Amino acid sequence: MQADTITAGQDVAEASRPLAIQVRNLDFYYGKTRALHDISLDFPERSVTGMIGPSGCGKSTLLRVLNRMYDLYPGQKATGEVLYDGQNILAPGVDLNLLRSRIGMVFQKPTPFPMSIYDNIAFGIRLHERVSRSEMDGRVEDALRRVALWGEVKDRLQASATAMSGGQQQRLCIARTIATRPEVILLDEPTSALDPVSTARIEELLDELKTEFTIAIVTHNMQQAARCADQVAFFYLGELVEVDSTARMFTNPRESRTQDYITGRFG
Amino acid sequence: MGNEPAHTVTRYDQELDRLRGIVARMGGLVERQTAQAIAAVVDQNEEAAVEPPELDVEVDALERDAESLAIRILALRAPMAVDLRLIVAVLKITGDLERIGDYASSIARRAMKVEPLDGALSFGALRSMGRLVQENLNKAIEAMAKNDSTRAMEVWNADTVVDELYTTMFRELVTYMMEDPRKIGPCIHLLFVAKNLERIGDHATNIAERVYYAVTGEMLPAVRPRGGAARKGG
Repeated sequence: MQADTITAGQDVAEASRPLAIQVRNLDFYYGKTRALHDISLDFPERSVTGMIGPSGCGKSTLLRVLNRMYDLYPGQKATGEVLYDGQNILAPGVDLNLLRSRIGMVFQKPTPFPMSIYDNIAFGIRLHERVSRSEMDGRVEDALRRVALWGEVKDRLQASATAMSGGQQQRLCIARTIATRPEVILLDEPTSALDPVSTARIEELLDELKTEFTIAIVTHNMQQAARCADQVAFFYLGELVEVDSTARMFTNPRESRTQDYITGRFG
Repeated sequence: MGNEPAHTVTRYDQELDRLRGIVARMGGLVERQTAQAIAAVVDQNEEAAVEPPELDVEVDALERDAESLAIRILALRAPMAVDLRLIVAVLKITGDLERIGDYASSIARRAMKVEPLDGALSFGALRSMGRLVQENLNKAIEAMAKNDSTRAMEVWNADTVVDELYTTMFRELVTYMMEDPRKIGPCIHLLFVAKNLERIGDHATNIAERVYYAVTGEMLPAVRPRGGAARKGG
């Protein structure tokens, strides 16, 4: 860790990156309950943004806004702007299937489809594109290679995905997400159900994936945010308390609420 | 720093308190060693010369205690932010305190070999230097105990005078030795004492830097104010 990355406002590399997503004055409601208060946050391209905070702070809610996952539930409403590719994705008329293929999501528990390893990957691609058999083979292999799963499963691609270990299933889900060639990957506590070795593998994977994708990760594990993220945002009671470079956040946060949380002095 | 709410895990607070306690005890001992060593020289007080080397044993033991406790906390608690800065500061500060203890012992051992030179100004300069160094060290230790970054900054700025006094003494003593080769022996001892005092001043400044970082999270600039000729003279 270089000394100059610790000082606020000096993280030049991050600051000068183009922004993949800009959240502006976002409010979110579950029915009448306001879950997010006036959030404004930038997600720089090809870097990892970590989102931390106690349960119920709104971090997962924000993640679900970024690909309009909340649309699946009645009574949930977002106001404000989420700018992606020059467009406010909260506006009516946005093609949600296309949006979700470009902003993919991986959940806390691995969610493999009850089908073969091969079809788990091919399924998402078929939803959006028509590809030949040989091209599909190539796409499946490529996705599995990128999550370092190819070597482990290449001889049993037709085996059921549900028979894989938890760590393998989660990597498969990430492979499924990147197979549709998204630009942004959202991860909601992707390793909370995994053992330390599988967790380390996913973290290593994030390091590689960020050269190509913009990543937003929600995590309860502070050390994980410290290890993986380039910038970290701390949420509390639906507010964005502080966002800064990871090194700064964990050595010298500006806000006492951030400090109390990350040092284990909360509540 | 120091005014934070308690950790959710009580044992964590107890460990950090214990660590602070070790450093405070070390600070107290080292202050005493330095005061005694300076008194031994400038007052030619033979009794005062006895204690500093004796106290050194405990100072060294405390440094090891602080180190193993700090490593334990780093390994088991994964400290962040203000806690992390405290532990890093403690690791560095205890190193500085241990060195100060060594210098004080060295001064005490030399105390009786130093003679007041006839009509020499050096003893007076040494007295001033001793007083300043002692003052700075006390302030640094106080800043540490009270998490006072303003006080730390004062120490950081005050070391220049000590450096300048040392340079003056150095020149003066060289002149004496050239004038009268019979004075070389006592002059060399005096010079070593002065040099050790100057080093104690430097370590007090280091402590101030660490306290400042621990409290504010900001590093002081790499270049600190110092007497321009001190390096060349030393």
